[in-house]
Amino acid sequence: MARQRDLAGDLELTVDRRTFLKRGLFGGALLALGGVGLGLWPGQEIAAPLRSLKILEPKAFQVLVAAATRIVVAPGADPVQIAHTVDESLTYAVPEAKKDFNGLLLLLENALAGLVLDGRPVPFTRVGGEAQDEVLLAWRDSALTVRRCGYHALRKICLAAHWSQEASFASLPYAPPTGLNANAYPDSKWGAS
Amino acid sequence: MTLLTQIRSSKSVTDGAAQTADLALSADVCVIGTGAGGAVTAATLAEAGHDVLMLEEGGYYTSDDFTARERDATKLYQEGMQRTTADLGITILQGRAVGGTTVVNWTTSFRTPEDVVAHWKEKHHVGGFAYADLVPHWDWIERRLGIAKVDVDAMNPNNRTLYDGCKALEWQVDTLRRNVHKCVQLGMCSLGCPMNAKRSMLVTLVPDAIDAGARLVFRARADRFETAGGEVGLLRGTLLDASGRTPTGKTFTVKAKRFVVSGGAINSPALLLRSGIDDGGRMGRRTFLHPVIGSGGLYSEPIRSYTGAPQSAASHHFAHRDDEVGFFLEVAPWYPVTTGTALAGFGKEHFDGMKKLENLALHLAIAIDGFHDDVDGGTVSLRPSGMPLLTYPIPDRLWRAFRFAQKRLAEVQFASGAKTVLTLHDPPLALASVRDLDRVDSRPYEVGRLPVFTAHQMGGCAMGDDAQTSIVRSEDLRHHTLTNLHVIDGSVFPTSLGVNPQESIYGLSRLMATRLAQRK
Repeated sequence: MARQRDLAGDLELTVDRRTFLKRGLFGGALLALGGVGLGLWPGQEIAAPLRSLKILEPKAFQVLVAAATRIVVAPGADPVQIAHTVDESLTYAVPEAKKDFNGLLLLLENALAGLVLDGRPVPFTRVGGEAQDEVLLAWRDSALTVRRCGYHALRKICLAAHWSQEASFASLPYAPPTGLNANAYPDSKWGAS
Repeated sequence: MTLLTQIRSSKSVTDGAAQTADLALSADVCVIGTGAGGAVTAATLAEAGHDVLMLEEGGYYTSDDFTARERDATKLYQEGMQRTTADLGITILQGRAVGGTTVVNWTTSFRTPEDVVAHWKEKHHVGGFAYADLVPHWDWIERRLGIAKVDVDAMNPNNRTLYDGCKALEWQVDTLRRNVHKCVQLGMCSLGCPMNAKRSMLVTLVPDAIDAGARLVFRARADRFETAGGEVGLLRGTLLDASGRTPTGKTFTVKAKRFVVSGGAINSPALLLRSGIDDGGRMGRRTFLHPVIGSGGLYSEPIRSYTGAPQSAASHHFAHRDDEVGFFLEVAPWYPVTTGTALAGFGKEHFDGMKKLENLALHLAIAIDGFHDDVDGGTVSLRPSGMPLLTYPIPDRLWRAFRFAQKRLAEVQFASGAKTVLTLHDPPLALASVRDLDRVDSRPYEVGRLPVFTAHQMGGCAMGDDAQTSIVRSEDLRHHTLTNLHVIDGSVFPTSLGVNPQESIYGLSRLMATRLAQRK
């Protein structure tokens, strides 16, 4: 019983990410309305996926392409490739995080949530580039932890997807080591005294 | 002599992904996890003649797989480097491969501070060993892993700026000891050492265990214990495919006289929770992280933090701050992904920052959690999928320490010649001189405003002699009531350490495994 009480207490304090989404946006009712909103204000298709998606939902993929376009501004940056790299990297995530990342992107897209929180009654994929920057900044500066952390999760995963690519190094003062000698020290007892 | 390239294909090593039928395994001792705790325990027991089976959830990667590219290293980390606390506020860097976190750590090696061991005895009823009992085991591991102090002249500029800055301010600072041999200073330790110069568990104690007769099954996830009559009777687990992420549909079971859980903090308590072992709600509580904040120093001369030993200097000048949380200072390399995710902002402004990569130093303030009543760490619970979830609310006292530490980081960077210091807030805060330090107070210190990360996970299965306040006994790290279940890894620490944890885990594990080895 003690553990049950403690678990209940934990859950009050230590909600998972999905619960965070619900509570951070004034409860589950708004999240449900957000789904309706997506239907009333459909988003725009930015680019067709180049291959089948592993984790991202089709609508979420479009939002991610739109966001990556604004987040990664660097020579050779390709938002569609970035979105696919993110999709692949999400295969490492636990099931709950995969679901929440899709949810996060749909929340960013959601015109109803945008209207309530930012006065933006238009899906993210349908506003102009500078206006998209304003949306991202509103998430960054939000009083709601979930929006601030969501902004960083989105920002980081897009930037990591781009800067993990070998081709991106050409635009940086960076050259990784080459000519590695993988078997320089081949013996497990090597170095042991 | 055992060639590292031959071990993975030896008869003693089984790839869970390649199995076409369920496995029914048995052993004297089943060790779950092959990191700092598991590898030392397995090697010690196998060399003493025990029949040892090692299990590892991650893949068996070798230097052939280590390309010095961040892209190729994600598979070496839990959740592909995406593990975070529940509120996404703290990024958790933790290894997931044969060799565990030792494959991706920065080689920094400290013995446990003597005052920490004394604190455990006084406050957490850890009476099963004394500091002096650990010393011969640290001596042994230091010889085996080639742990040696770095020369001042061998530091890279990133570390040198920390060292010189501390010297200029007359703060305590010293060079570090590293577990490397003939390191060629590639600077890629956290991506897996392509040279095998890092003496990780992958290239030392895991091969030692196999040489001594131990068996290893990798891509094998331990799911839950079945217990009866005050003992663990069976371990059930899942075999994973070659990606290391997806179950193959095949399972395994292990019968053993003794089980040793060495999955590390977060994963060890999660396995026990999945097994219904919650010990009155204590399981997973008091999980410590050494939470870290960073500071970017922009210098006129090239720093190239991505080359040379990643960590070779540390300052413990602020480790003891009485009522305030202490912290220590080290550095970290900026690789492209590290930089891309650590620098604030997005768009062109962010790219302008990236172009300064060559001239950026990254200094860290690493908070010492677990020594104040209200800085009592996080709690591991289970997600609906059964995977662990760590909740770590950062208390005000810790935020206060971060604010103080941010200023000290800026001071040390200016003292070593930085032209600009960037806190990692978003929006970014750039300081032009020490006269700007007060501007640090203008920024909020809360989740989602300032990145926090951890590379040192500890606690969650605390050792102690009071069964009402701990999970395992301190004399042999045996569970208080399940008589054939031990936990031997960093999760048994009752607090954090105030130093990088790998050598503390090695020493404690060898002491405990030596004691276990004497029991047949």
